[in-house]
Amino acid sequence: MNQQQILPRPKHAITSEMMDKSFLADVIKMRGGQNVLDCIQCGVCAGSCHASWAMDFTPMQIVRMLHLGMKEKVLSSSTIWICASCYTCATRCPRGIDIPLLMSALKNMAIKEKFPAKIPVKPRFHKTFADIVQKYGRIHEPELFLKITNKTDFKGMMQNAKLGWTLLRKGKLKMKAPKVNKKDQWSTLFKNIAKEEGV
Amino acid sequence: MKYAYFPGCSIHTTAQEYGISSKAVSKVLGIELIEIPEWNCCGAMDAVYAYNPLLSISLSARNLALAESMKMDVVTLCSACFFTLSRANKLLHEDSELKGKVDKLLNDSGLQYTGGVKVRHYLDVLLNDVGLENISKNVKVKLDGLKVAPYYGCMLIRPPNIVNFDDPEHPHSMDKIIEAIGGKNVDYIYKTQCCGASLGLTEQEVMMEMTKDLLLEAKKANADCIALPCPLCHLNMDAKQKTIESAFDIKIGMPVVFFTQLMGVAFGLSPKELALNKNCVPTKKLFSQIHA
Repeated sequence: MNQQQILPRPKHAITSEMMDKSFLADVIKMRGGQNVLDCIQCGVCAGSCHASWAMDFTPMQIVRMLHLGMKEKVLSSSTIWICASCYTCATRCPRGIDIPLLMSALKNMAIKEKFPAKIPVKPRFHKTFADIVQKYGRIHEPELFLKITNKTDFKGMMQNAKLGWTLLRKGKLKMKAPKVNKKDQWSTLFKNIAKEEGV
Repeated sequence: MKYAYFPGCSIHTTAQEYGISSKAVSKVLGIELIEIPEWNCCGAMDAVYAYNPLLSISLSARNLALAESMKMDVVTLCSACFFTLSRANKLLHEDSELKGKVDKLLNDSGLQYTGGVKVRHYLDVLLNDVGLENISKNVKVKLDGLKVAPYYGCMLIRPPNIVNFDDPEHPHSMDKIIEAIGGKNVDYIYKTQCCGASLGLTEQEVMMEMTKDLLLEAKKANADCIALPCPLCHLNMDAKQKTIESAFDIKIGMPVVFFTQLMGVAFGLSPKELALNKNCVPTKKLFSQIHA
């Protein structure tokens, strides 16, 4: 008789210490997370996702991991940062879960709690974008490009430099920052928002 | 026909040809786009939201408040602005606690938004306010069956509970316009596939994989060019096409134009009026017979 083959232990085995009971409750309180318990694990989101090939967990897996309270695994996954908010999943979800908004909420939680991101540039991208918009009222591309460029990634830097040159040559990259008048009015608005706690 | 025009940041920088050609086309069709004075960033989908949701919604709300005082519908060219403003509008309608918070913030800076603004995309205006008949009436130059791959991307059509003027799975609004101006739509299976969007700034490799497929599929469908309605998709497919070609060691050479540029060509407008020289992949050959 053939000896029974012993399969390797699953890579993502779940243990009790991975479960943070308050995590699910926190997610449900956030916009986008209210109805995560409605998920029936049908897999339409995972099958529809245009970027799942670049993620470590599919959106469906992330939702199940939320149910189980696997905070550490979820917030340190690449999935939440790779989601490009294309909304194919949410358009098809039979339970009406706004998965991209859920991913945004998880990003927000990861940024606030300073979770080390699997794609380190991402939290910096979101913060820099918001900072620039608050400074000028609009985005200023050259400043965004420069601030988020990873100085140790030579290949990426060369590609960005090439893009910058292409755009500059076409007059599409304006070195001068945008100007929105009535700065007092909109900067008051932003200052007051900064004082508010969440939404 | 007058509209409160929200250009969005890219129209002034990386997608100037979209703004310029839309204004030129609007002039022909009798559409008046009146720029919202002192508009600010829409909140940029997920870019600001992930950092601070309230900031993102308030950015949109300020624009909506400014538009409300103009007493006109808001029209955007950018799909992402269209989505972001529409989402904020919807959230402010549905969530009274959020509305209260945002109202107070707006009031403190001398603004008010009662919720009476409708956010629309330029494509919606062309199709439903101007009408296909009026569009084809203005055609002066036959595109002569120019083979076009209509690419819709994401935020223009999805999700249907936020943006809902076209079908989320099988959109056809741009197809109809291309037909009305004498173009021929090729059967393009990736018309609603995501280009990778802002991943181009942070996860370049992932974006390039995604965009490469869109370009190659258009080539396989025998298209002469891709027509699209979104500045970010355009940046990835047009400005980054050379980078993609060298990264994968392939030759693509697929012109990517805004659908408004195609309309302008059919309306007999000059390359300069449509800023055709701003596109990174040359468009000269594409219209060589027309602009001989």
